[in-house]
Formats: sequence, C-alpha cells, structure tokens
Amino acid sequence: MAEFLFAAAAIVLVLTGLALVRMLWGPSPADRMMAAQLLGTGGGAIAILVAIASGMTAVLDIALTLALLAAFAAVALTLGEPGSKRRGGGE
Amino acid sequence: MSLVVDLFMVLLILTSAVWTVLARDRRDAVIAFIVLGLQLSLVWMRLMAVDVALTEAAVGGGATGLVLLRACARLQPVEAEGRLPGLRAQIAAGLLCAGVGVALAAVILAPAAPAPSLAPAVAAHMDEVGLKNPVTVVLLAYRALDTLLEKVVLVLGLIGVWALAPDLFWGGRPASLRAASPSGTLTFLARVLPPVGVLIGVYLVWNGADHPGGTFQGGTVLAAMWLLVMMAGLGELPETRALRLRRLVAVGPALFIAVGLAGFWMADGFLSYPPEYAKPIIVAVEVALALSIAVILGLMVAGPAAKEPER
Repeated sequence: MAEFLFAAAAIVLVLTGLALVRMLWGPSPADRMMAAQLLGTGGGAIAILVAIASGMTAVLDIALTLALLAAFAAVALTLGEPGSKRRGGGE
Repeated sequence: MSLVVDLFMVLLILTSAVWTVLARDRRDAVIAFIVLGLQLSLVWMRLMAVDVALTEAAVGGGATGLVLLRACARLQPVEAEGRLPGLRAQIAAGLLCAGVGVALAAVILAPAAPAPSLAPAVAAHMDEVGLKNPVTVVLLAYRALDTLLEKVVLVLGLIGVWALAPDLFWGGRPASLRAASPSGTLTFLARVLPPVGVLIGVYLVWNGADHPGGTFQGGTVLAAMWLLVMMAGLGELPETRALRLRRLVAVGPALFIAVGLAGFWMADGFLSYPPEYAKPIIVAVEVALALSIAVILGLMVAGPAAKEPER
C-alpha cells in the first residue's frame, strides 16, 4: 500500500511540475500565479499521500499550511494590479 | 525510482530559481519566487525536516510573496521614470551573488567528517525540559538567547518600517490594503478562510511543544488571515499609535525577557527555567510570541503610516 501511495505522490509531483510551463509561458501574471496555485494544491496532495504512506502525521500539517497560504498568495496578486489608482498610498 | 523523483524535483527547483533571476518583469520574478518557496517546502518534506517544511510553506509560500508583491506595487511609479542599473553594475552584482553561492556550496558539499553535531546531546536531555519536539526544545530552551534576539529584531524591524512615515502622518493609519477592484470572490474568501485559518494557526502554536510547528509558523498563518480580512475591505487597519496594538507588539518579547530575568532567582541564571515548570513557561512564552509575531508581520506588510491620525 505504501509503495502505491508513494508512486501516486510521484505522479502528482510530475503533473504539478508541468504547471511550470504555465509559469514560464505566461503571458499574464495571473496565468503565472495559477502555476503557484496548482503547486500549492498539488503540494498539499503530495503531503497527504506521503503522510499516510510514511505514517508521519506531522506531514499533514504541511498540507494544511500549503492549502491555506497558497490561496492567500493569489489574493496578494490583486495588490499590484496595473492601472489601480490606489497603488501604495492613500484612499 | 526515488532517485528519478529527486532529480525531477531538482530540475523543477533549478527552473524556478533561474526564472526568478531572468524574468524581465518584477512581478513575474516574485511569482516564480513563490513557486520556488512551495517547491522548497516539498524538498524539506522529502528530507523529513517537517519543521523547516512548515516554515517554508508559511513564510516562503505565503508571507514573503505578499511582502514582495506589495513592494512591487509600490515601486511601479518609481520604476517608470527610473533606469536600470548599468551593464557593469549588473555584471558585478551577478558575479558577487555567484561567488557567495559557490562559497556556500563549497562549505556544504565538503563538510568536516564527522560533521559536528549536538543532536545526541539534545536527544539525551529532552526529558529535562518536558517537551517532545526537539526543534522547540533547542529554540526555546538551549538556544533561547538567539530566539529572544530574533524576536527583538522583529520589533526593531517594525520600528524601522514605521520610521519611514512622514512627521505629519506619525501614529496614523497605514495605506489601505484593499484590493483595487474588490470582487465578490475575494470577499467570500475573506469570510470563509479566516475562521479555518485562525484555528490552524492556533493549532500550529499549541502543537509546537510536542510536534512540528511553533510560534513562527502559527504567527505567520494568523497574520495572513488578518491581512486577508484587510485586503477584502472587511476590516480597517488600526492606527499605528493605538496603545492596544503597541502592547500586542511588545507582549511576546517583554514576557520572554521577564521570564529570562526571573531565571536569575528561580533557576541558574538568565533564560534558564526551573525544571518542574519548564513546559508551562515555554508554552506561555510561545503563545505570547505568536501573538506578537502575528501583529508585527501584519503591520510590516501594511507599511508605515500614510494618513493623518484622527483627532
């Protein structure tokens, strides 16, 4: 069973690795950010698979943190939208 | 099989790292850096360093990205009129960075044999402190002075950020974090995520005594949730002169220093704990530190005051 889960984790890693193509290609920052999002989700999946396969429950916490903060990083992208008048100062 | 997977991970990381350096647009570079942080946390997981992986996921994947993206947004108007540094400066900076990288690689790839390690000594005395997470034992018991200074540096950093405010605005609110075009999705996320996130943040802090986790990871998650609420416009940033806010900033380091001084008559000296109370003291310090870290990180991202204080 553990072998199977590790293999599944490896396959998820390869698939999320393909997201890098989107990060390099773009063309817009939002497209590139999607690569980071997929990596956050995929990383969470890998962590869960590894946690169950290896019996290290602490690894589940990594999945929690990744899932939580990858979504947060995407929100951060809205801060610097080109054309926004609020950029950096005042209302 | 595992070698192939490892090599693939190395390839992914090298790609992101090289792209971080080569990307023409500053925001593209920051996004690549976030991707690099997420990949590094997977590598730390692969190396079974769960504490480091957690920190990398929280700080590298979330907090650093936000700080850098905000810096990009601030730099945009400056960048438009400024010029890139000359070719000579670029080459010099590249050579310097490459030199540092090669030197670090040389040190890491050629360690003294056997590598010096205090791990067995820590493992032998774990029971005296009463915690089960060796990382927390080292951070808060054996190397408590380093940890204390690290937290004090955070406070100094915040003072440095605040000092950038013009005299007129001193004590006022920082510039609004609200997104340029608040959307329904963002508001929804800011309502759904923080309850879960605050729970996970508290859990990471509480868990840190016996399992991987701790003040910095938990504090970062708490700060991220606070900032999310601000960015969706559901909450207002506090005035930097607010006394309650400043107390929260100081409570962690202050309690740490107080506990350290109490060590003079309760135990052997500065920052030493009486063995029978070591665990409750460390957990109390951790909770106070996590609060301070969360508030300090949030305020650092918010930046210096940019509005006149209200009368």
